[in-house]
Amino acid sequence: MLRNTLLIAKREYLERIRSKVFLVTTVLVPLGVGVLVTFGGAGGRRLEGVRRMAIVSNDPALVQAVKASLEAGELAPKYVEVATPATRAELQRLNQEVTAHRIEGYLSIAPAAGQVEPLVTWVSASAVNFLSKSEMEEAVRAAVVRQQLLERGLPPGAVDDLMGPVALKTMQIRNGEVVAANSERSFMGAYALILVLYGSVLIYGVNIARSVVEEKTSRVFEVLLSMVSSDVLMLGKLLGVGAAGLTQIVIWSALLVFYAGSTLAASEGIHGLGSLGITGPELVYFAVFFLLGYFFYSGLGAAIGSTVSGEQEVQQFSLLIVSPLVVSVVLLPFVLGNPSSLTSVALSLIPPFTPIIMYMRICSQMPPAWQIALALALMVGSVWGMVWLAARIYRVGVLMYGKRATIPEMLRWLRYS
Amino acid sequence: MPALVEMDHVSKSYEEKAAVRDLSLRIEAGSMFGLLGPNGAGKTSTIRMMIGITRPDSGRVTLFGEPFSNAALSRVGYMPEERGLYRRMKVLEQLVFLGELRGLSAPDASRRARTWCERLQISEAIDKKTEELSKGMQQKIQFIATLLHEPQLIIMDEPFSGLDPVNAVLLQDTLIELRNQGNAILFSTHRMDQVEKLCDSICLINRGEAVLSGGMREVKSRYERNRVVLQFEGTNGFLHHPAIAEYKSYAGHVEIRLKPHADAQDLLRTAAACSTITRFDLAEPSLEEIFIQTVGGRTDA
Repeated sequence: MLRNTLLIAKREYLERIRSKVFLVTTVLVPLGVGVLVTFGGAGGRRLEGVRRMAIVSNDPALVQAVKASLEAGELAPKYVEVATPATRAELQRLNQEVTAHRIEGYLSIAPAAGQVEPLVTWVSASAVNFLSKSEMEEAVRAAVVRQQLLERGLPPGAVDDLMGPVALKTMQIRNGEVVAANSERSFMGAYALILVLYGSVLIYGVNIARSVVEEKTSRVFEVLLSMVSSDVLMLGKLLGVGAAGLTQIVIWSALLVFYAGSTLAASEGIHGLGSLGITGPELVYFAVFFLLGYFFYSGLGAAIGSTVSGEQEVQQFSLLIVSPLVVSVVLLPFVLGNPSSLTSVALSLIPPFTPIIMYMRICSQMPPAWQIALALALMVGSVWGMVWLAARIYRVGVLMYGKRATIPEMLRWLRYS
Repeated sequence: MPALVEMDHVSKSYEEKAAVRDLSLRIEAGSMFGLLGPNGAGKTSTIRMMIGITRPDSGRVTLFGEPFSNAALSRVGYMPEERGLYRRMKVLEQLVFLGELRGLSAPDASRRARTWCERLQISEAIDKKTEELSKGMQQKIQFIATLLHEPQLIIMDEPFSGLDPVNAVLLQDTLIELRNQGNAILFSTHRMDQVEKLCDSICLINRGEAVLSGGMREVKSRYERNRVVLQFEGTNGFLHHPAIAEYKSYAGHVEIRLKPHADAQDLLRTAAACSTITRFDLAEPSLEEIFIQTVGGRTDA
């Protein structure tokens, strides 16, 4: 019994490890993530804003103040030419500079009659991007305010103090402890793990359904059933496919740990797993929920594979496998924000949603122990139920030729087997 | 000595349709057993109950003298009608896997698989994937997979379908050899000539019921010698003889079916009186005729 289960698991495992799909996903997924990170990063840097520009005005003090303010900003231009006073000839020269692409554009600042705020115009060859525009607005506003404050007699030191940036320090309560929070990264690790969970459960749930259908269409399963019981077959299949999935996860995790500790990551401001927002216990819970989710959805896939007659129908039914996962992922922001709401608690106890929702709750705010225990018990129970059901359906599937069974038909068949 | 397989008043129905009704049969060691019947008669259902793929609704199945258990399956080799192999697996890997599932060690299974491939002249296929092989070759692989663990009970559903005559004879001879070694072989078919040549006993099923069963000789002896092949030169006036139920006339010979309890010798005398007889052959009906007669010519279903 055990020997045969392992034999079947070994065959399934080897078939998957040797398949092209395995190779392609194992290599391509990290590669894809790497490409995204690299290009995403490069894209971020390209939003530097304007690099070469000029400021023209009749008010030399204001021009200097705007320049200083721009250069202190986050998207500081590399080169700022100052042109005073704003004569017609000077403006013409600047227009030529813009046309010749020596500068990207210039800010023309003219006092507006009867108003404190001046009239500001940005002249350039291309449309200005959103970030640069707000940056320039901010710079001009700061310069004007600074000038007004100085004109009203405040000492320059006091003006600097007033105009200095406010440092906002973010803290977060996680699992009962107040810890420093990096608002962008705190859930990045959780998100990444949830996506991995989602992806692999999806891939292997459908994969096992395919493998069952293949055995049915090639009629191997009648030979197999004359040797071993369908329980052994199903269990072996699940273990084999599970082991293949784990292998992939281990490879990816090794890559992630390697990356997190590498100089490349350090250059992105990541030092070890901790700065990805992943903690040790979270990794352990991840492994537990990954495996349970994996077995649940593999069992579901196997059961679905047993009821359909061809590869094409797997496509239609894969929606059934995917939908709870999609719902879980869509609810991600809600659950992370309201981990103890009734909806979150209820969903985290319903087996198809448990792996992702419960894991999210754990990442956000540790749920009471009894809820975790209950969720685990329900998961284990339903995994067992899935395998049992899949094995029964698989067995009566021998009797099916060509057409898919309706649910009442299948229920009757369950009695025959 | 107990029979290897004993089915005792076994019934099984699916939905409203009865697949097998009150069927009993015995398969002895060292014998070849033919399970006959038109398509849909219940042959495959019977076999499946024999090896526990499905369970009977009522009745008793005994394997190797004990009630059915999964442990007995390691002594059974089953080749289903619809052949099944993993398409993407290499031949040797596949044979070793199936052998291991039946309790062989990997090296043992590998050694036996190579020997068998040599014997059935398909050694060149051993490193190929199944899907690359011709149908006939796949069937030989299936055949080997069924026999690798030296089962005492060999069950083959339509073993010779799709094989060319040379290969069919090769497999036939192999089966005869295995029978002579003391194994029991059950095969289902509707090729009556093979059954007549190979089988020691038969069971003819029609619409789920056994309509005829027993030893081959015994079954045939139940039928009267009422087939006459008559070769002659001269007139065919004797064809009006009262003993003749019907006849088919060919160039130079007629095939005659006699009426029950008719006097064949009188027919011979009458024929000899009006023509020269070169051959007069009185025989029992062929199995094919018995088959058609018994199931009433209905082979649809």
